[in-house]
Amino acid sequence: MSSSTSWVTSRNPDANNIFAIAGVVVKEMYRRKDFYVLLVLIVLITLMLGSVSFFDDDRIVRYLKDACLLLIWLSSLVIAITTAARQIPAERESRTIYPLLAKPVGRGEFVAGKFLGCWVACGIALVGFYFFFGIMSASREHTLPFLVYFQAIWLHWMCLGIVVALVLLGSVVFAAPSSNATICFIVVLGIMFAGGHLNTLALQMRGFRGEVVYALYYAIPHLEWYDLRDFIIHNWGGSGLRLVTHNIDWLVWVGASIYAALYTGMLLGCTWLVFQRRTMTL
Amino acid sequence: MIKWVVIFLFVCCMALATVLDPEFRRLHNRDNSSGGALAALMGDSRLLFAHEFFAMADAYFHSGFYPTIFDRQKPGTESDLKEESHDKSEDAKDHEEETSFLGAPKDWIDRFGRHFYPTVHTHLHGGDEREMLPWLQLSADLDPQAIDAYVTASYWLRTSLNKPGEAEHFLRQGQLANPDSFEIQLELGRIYLNNYSNAFVARNILLQARQKWRKQDAAGAKPDPHTYEAILGEIVRADRALGNLKQQLADMEELLKVAHIKENLQRQIAELKAKLAEPTP
Repeated sequence: MSSSTSWVTSRNPDANNIFAIAGVVVKEMYRRKDFYVLLVLIVLITLMLGSVSFFDDDRIVRYLKDACLLLIWLSSLVIAITTAARQIPAERESRTIYPLLAKPVGRGEFVAGKFLGCWVACGIALVGFYFFFGIMSASREHTLPFLVYFQAIWLHWMCLGIVVALVLLGSVVFAAPSSNATICFIVVLGIMFAGGHLNTLALQMRGFRGEVVYALYYAIPHLEWYDLRDFIIHNWGGSGLRLVTHNIDWLVWVGASIYAALYTGMLLGCTWLVFQRRTMTL
Repeated sequence: MIKWVVIFLFVCCMALATVLDPEFRRLHNRDNSSGGALAALMGDSRLLFAHEFFAMADAYFHSGFYPTIFDRQKPGTESDLKEESHDKSEDAKDHEEETSFLGAPKDWIDRFGRHFYPTVHTHLHGGDEREMLPWLQLSADLDPQAIDAYVTASYWLRTSLNKPGEAEHFLRQGQLANPDSFEIQLELGRIYLNNYSNAFVARNILLQARQKWRKQDAAGAKPDPHTYEAILGEIVRADRALGNLKQQLADMEELLKVAHIKENLQRQIAELKAKLAEPTP
């Protein structure tokens, strides 16, 4: 009984530490202007595109959804990468990391807190972006395929979880946040563009090179799975609140979420291992 | 001192503006289209974007089910969007039975990944074809010589969307940039024949299309023979609508020379000849 009580008392502060660090990160996002600027840009560009008339037909909407979703994806990646990339270097630069780790806050809690904060901040940004998208889309199409939207937002958020974890790992490996952000941006966009086709390329190559590319195909996180833009743009989910055959299977949706969770966990574990070995001296 | 420098810079700016302004005006007005200004800004890259936007329209036509640069396509296959807009036969339109470009899944990641993008071959219908139009417009804006963009947009505007006026307006823009295009002329003739039911004007437009085709053929440009057949076919339809049997017979005989399927046409010619041989009451 006493051992169980001590376990509970020793775990609770850990969770509190993580939530406290995460809360600071979320508050930082409120204070910084990135999210507001990007939201205003998305709104302005979408409204400008929406004001263009093609063949005097005001029911054309898919090009607008396409442009808006592309902007949302780019903006969310910018927020995720820039927010995560500056977390640990900024703490070291301002030397706030030393009292923080001396509290005591474990390095694992510190990494977990930073991750949770960035991930939640991305989630809040996503809700804002998709809220505007939903209003814009519903005002033109007069329908709201709620389930597909929910699946798309969730998977988008899971994808950002992997990206945030990857960037946090980068921030303990690379020296400067700018180089980390640039490299992560290239890697993430590269995976989203070509990650799903590496197997095709590997089969066209012969010998060792092909095997290396195929191994890379299995090793990388398949971020392209989480991009459901085509489903939303082309109304594959149907309209209204009804379930339709082309909705993504819920088992597949759960599977993708578990895959993302595993990858995120693995990347965070690596971050913690690297961070553990870093010497923190004033 | 700084005051004089600022005044000097201001005078320089004004002088430069007087030199550059006529140049920019000339660029804007070149060819009486947006091609001049866009060409100056983007160079030949606009052709690449124009092609990409046409492909985008094709992707929209298939609701996102479209090969990427990594997927292999059968060599010599034309896009479904072009085929549809060229009024091909129903057999040629039967694409949905085609084998998917995706092939069998190569591994479990490929199999699982296919849940996250459209994998069913469908075509837009029921007025949803309008969704392709912005990309076709952009394609034509970037490359005013992209005749397929004008013809394809016009086809959907005059058929599914029932907007012959918009289709004609767009084709007239295309005509300005491509005065020798028999494809645009054919499409214009179809609007007058099918939508405006003005067979007289349609026939004149189609005769111009035929003339342009022949001119290119004589110049050795090897114009598309299928389009020539289509032009002659539409002329025969216009003759039929006008009730000019002698002219219809002459045009049908001309069509017979180039037609791929001759049996039905020969039978029609025989019937027409018999009708003409009948004594008039």
